[in-house]
Amino acid sequence: MDVNDTQGNGPDEPTAEQPTAEGPQAPPPGPPPRRLTRLRTDRVVGGVCGGLGRYFNVDPIFFRIGAVALIFAGGAGLLLYLAALLLVPGEGDSAPAVPGAQGRNRGWVIAGVVVLLLFSLPFLIGGGFLLAGVGIPIALLVGTGVLVWWLVSGEGPSGDAGDIARRAILGIGVIILCVVLFFAAGLGAAAGPDWLIPALIVVAGGAIAAGAFLKPVRWLVLPALTVAMAAGIVAAADIDFDGGIGQREYRPASSVDLRDRYELGIGELVVDLRDTDLPKGDVPLELDVGIGEARLIVPDDVCVATDADVGMGNIAVFGRDHGGVDIAYEDAPDAKPTRTRVLLNADVGVGEVRVHDNRAELFFRHDFNPDYEGDPEFGSPRSAACESDGQASIG
Amino acid sequence: MRSGPDIPSLVAGLAVLAFGGVLMLDAFAVFDLSFAAFGPLACATAGAILVANGLGRRR
Repeated sequence: MDVNDTQGNGPDEPTAEQPTAEGPQAPPPGPPPRRLTRLRTDRVVGGVCGGLGRYFNVDPIFFRIGAVALIFAGGAGLLLYLAALLLVPGEGDSAPAVPGAQGRNRGWVIAGVVVLLLFSLPFLIGGGFLLAGVGIPIALLVGTGVLVWWLVSGEGPSGDAGDIARRAILGIGVIILCVVLFFAAGLGAAAGPDWLIPALIVVAGGAIAAGAFLKPVRWLVLPALTVAMAAGIVAAADIDFDGGIGQREYRPASSVDLRDRYELGIGELVVDLRDTDLPKGDVPLELDVGIGEARLIVPDDVCVATDADVGMGNIAVFGRDHGGVDIAYEDAPDAKPTRTRVLLNADVGVGEVRVHDNRAELFFRHDFNPDYEGDPEFGSPRSAACESDGQASIG
Repeated sequence: MRSGPDIPSLVAGLAVLAFGGVLMLDAFAVFDLSFAAFGPLACATAGAILVANGLGRRR
C-alpha cells in the first residue's frame, strides 16, 4: 500500500507541508451575510413583511397577519410598519430610506421612532378599541375564509394581496353555503322521516369512498360532513318538529279538557293548570317541544312528579335550575293526602323545561323582584303540596 | 388508470359512512344518541378527515 494513500492524498495533491507554487488556497466563499431588506418582488405595500419572511425563512403571510392584527388591535402595527419603511433599506439599496438612519445618526432615528410610539400609542389604543369592535370580526372572517378555502382547495395563504382576497371571498362563500346547508339539513332531519338524512349521509360516504378507487370526489366531503353534523345535533337533542311552530298556551277548565300530551315543534308551550278542576290522585301529562320552552304552571295545592329530559338547555323545577347538555331530571315525591299529583313527562330538544306554581308566577310578574313577599317556601325543589319523600336526581 | 386509492378520499368516505351508520342506528332506535357520544364522534370524524388530508398533501 502506498504511503500517500494512507494519508488520504494522491501523489500530485499538495499537503499542508507542501504549498503549491501559487501559494495557499483561499478558503471557499461562505454564504453571504443575511441582511434584512424590504423586498421589491414579494411585496403588498412596502415589502417589509416579505423581507422579514425571507430574513427569518418563514412564510411572510404570518408577518402580514400579525401586522394587520396589530393595526386593528391598537394601531401599533401601523407605526411599526412606518418605522420599518424608514429604517429598513430596500432590496439592492445600500442605505435606508432615511439618509440619517445610517451610521452615527441611526441611533437617534431609532430613539425618535420609539419616542413617537410611546407618545402616540395611548391615543392609538383608544381609537383601536373602537376600531377593534368592527375590525377584529372582519379580520377573523377573512382569516377563516382563507383557512376554509385552503382546506377545501389546497390553495394556501400565499401570493399577493389580490390572491389572498380572492381566496378569502371564496372561503367565505363556502362558509355561507355550509351554514345554509347545515340549517336545511337540520330542518330536514327534524321534520322528515328519521332515517332519510342518515341514509343520504351513508350514500354520500359510500360515494366518497368508492371515488377513492375510481375518481376522487373530494368536493363532496365538506357538504356531507356539514349535513352529518346537523343531523347529529338533531338526533342527539331529539329535536322533533311535530306540533307546528309558534306560541301555544292551554288553560283547561277541567280534567276532561286536559289532554295527556301536548307537543310543539318550535316555540313556547305553556300549560296552565291554575284554574283547572283537577281530580285527587295522579294525573299524567306529557309535554314535548323540539326547540323552545315547555312550561307547566300548577296551583299551589298540586304536587308535581317530574321526569324531564333536555338535549341542550335548562330544566327549572320550582326555582331550581339545572343547565347544560343531556340533562335528565327525575323527581317522584308523594303527594300529601287528598291532594292532586301531576305526573309530568317533559321532553325538550333545545331549550327549557320550566315547572312552577302560582307563587313563582306572581314572582315573575313582579319583574323578578327578590323582595316580593311570596311564600317562604318559594325556591323549594318541589311544590308545598308534596310530601318530603322522594329524591330528585340529575343526570 | 390510478395506481392506488386516493387515501384522503378513502378515509373521508369511510368516516362519513360510519357517522351516517351511527345516525341510522339512532333513527331505528337501536340506541339513543346523546351529546356525550355525539361530541367525540363528531371530533373523531372531522379529525380523521383533516389528518388524512394533511398527510395526503405531504405525500
